[in-house]
Amino acid sequence: MATTDLLGRPTTEVEDELLALYGRCKALLERDDLTPCVRAGARAATVGLWNAVNDLGLEHEQLLDLGA
Amino acid sequence: MGAGEYWNPKTETLGRDELAALQLAKLRRLCDWAAARSPFYQRSFKQAGFEPDQLRTLDDLRRLPMLTREEWMASQGEQPPFGLLPVAGREAAIRWHTTSGTTGREPIRVLDTAKDWAWQAEMWCYGLWGFGVRPADTAYVAFGYGSFIGFWGLHYGLEKLGALNVPGGAQPTEGRVKQIVDFGATVVASTPTYALRLAQEAERLGVDLAASGVQKLILSGEPAGSIPQTKALIERLWGAKAGDTAGMTEIGTIMIFECRHQPGGTHIIEDHYIEEVVDPASGEPVGYGEAGERVVTSFGRGIIPLLRYRTADLVARVPASRCACGRGFDLYEGGILGRVDDMKLVRGTNVYPRAVEGIVREFDHVEEFQLRLTREGHFDKIALRVEPAPGLSDADWEDMAGRLAKALAEAHEGLRFEVERAAEGELPRFELKARRTVDERDTPIGG
Repeated sequence: MATTDLLGRPTTEVEDELLALYGRCKALLERDDLTPCVRAGARAATVGLWNAVNDLGLEHEQLLDLGA
Repeated sequence: MGAGEYWNPKTETLGRDELAALQLAKLRRLCDWAAARSPFYQRSFKQAGFEPDQLRTLDDLRRLPMLTREEWMASQGEQPPFGLLPVAGREAAIRWHTTSGTTGREPIRVLDTAKDWAWQAEMWCYGLWGFGVRPADTAYVAFGYGSFIGFWGLHYGLEKLGALNVPGGAQPTEGRVKQIVDFGATVVASTPTYALRLAQEAERLGVDLAASGVQKLILSGEPAGSIPQTKALIERLWGAKAGDTAGMTEIGTIMIFECRHQPGGTHIIEDHYIEEVVDPASGEPVGYGEAGERVVTSFGRGIIPLLRYRTADLVARVPASRCACGRGFDLYEGGILGRVDDMKLVRGTNVYPRAVEGIVREFDHVEEFQLRLTREGHFDKIALRVEPAPGLSDADWEDMAGRLAKALAEAHEGLRFEVERAAEGELPRFELKARRTVDERDTPIGG
């Protein structure tokens, strides 16, 4: 888990929690045994968290390979 | 300013150095992505001798070649329908949109993934929140919801920030006016031209919009949202504050917005874009306050990376300190000033449609207008066709036409404008991008 943002500044408690959730959602999307409804929900959650992670300058990456 | 002023306080209040560092970090990732996945950039980077690891400072951005609309169009022709810019095909996308096609040219076709689409709403949230839209608001979206991307991102941005969204959809203007009042809208989103059209229709219906619940207008789609006279007219007719925004299909959403302080310009969302302003002829950067062409690099849409895209928008950048809101984001003074090819040369005099509109909007009783350029022999003529408000007497028309011609001439080195009265309903009405300049000269001089 990153402990600094893209500017090299220490992350806050909220940011750490956000990154942890984001990482878990991505990990879920990587599984190949998700039903359609689970995949759609996980994708929506990942995309939502991506925006927050990106806005806060914690990470900047693409999700295309995860289907998003 | 309190944190409630901003959608994203962390980056909206960054200092300039930190903002540049964030942009550089994102730029490196974007260039790596484009180099790895986009056939277009693989080719253009190679031709320019550019490799992403050359990006050591933000100034190294200029090592990248600029991208023109013509190159994008050529790419679409080379590999229809989306060209070589995208990093994946349509199977990876959830949306397909096109440019409006108002210029009669082949449209640009764009794709968005689920992540890209959600990001577009996010950009609108920066603007909506910045102008003061809050979850308690009821927002009416006067938009036809078609393949033109227009207000789609605003629609989802409203939902995201928690406002009550009323999608106007395709219906007559009269129906929209009634819904705005009946639904108790506090916010209305439309083009500047259509905001005026709605106000005209309301007057015909005997509806007093200034007495309605509408407090804010979110304008987009045309430069007129920042023309002071047009903005003042809209605000007067609606009894509401008007906030300008601007976006483009090529990036999918807005890149600038006016905050609630209304500083006479629009903030650039600089944590998501790098905006350069260059001399249109040389491509060299121009300084603060100088008009030049917008060149955009976007960190948003991943399926179509956009690096140094020449927009042909004319802007003048000023420092963030020009506004009292506390954002670290620079502004474009007067929003989008027009297009770099907007200027018309008539008998040696430069005529800018934006300036003409600014003059026309100072006159009451103008329902619609059109600027028409013709040529007789070797003599260029310029006429302003005006459709006055219904019922304007001949005497009042003559008085207004005389004053209008005088004001136009005084602003254009004495150039004579023929001011002609158009019949009621004769001139075209616009819901999206208004096109009020008609150049009928066979070989237009100066564009």
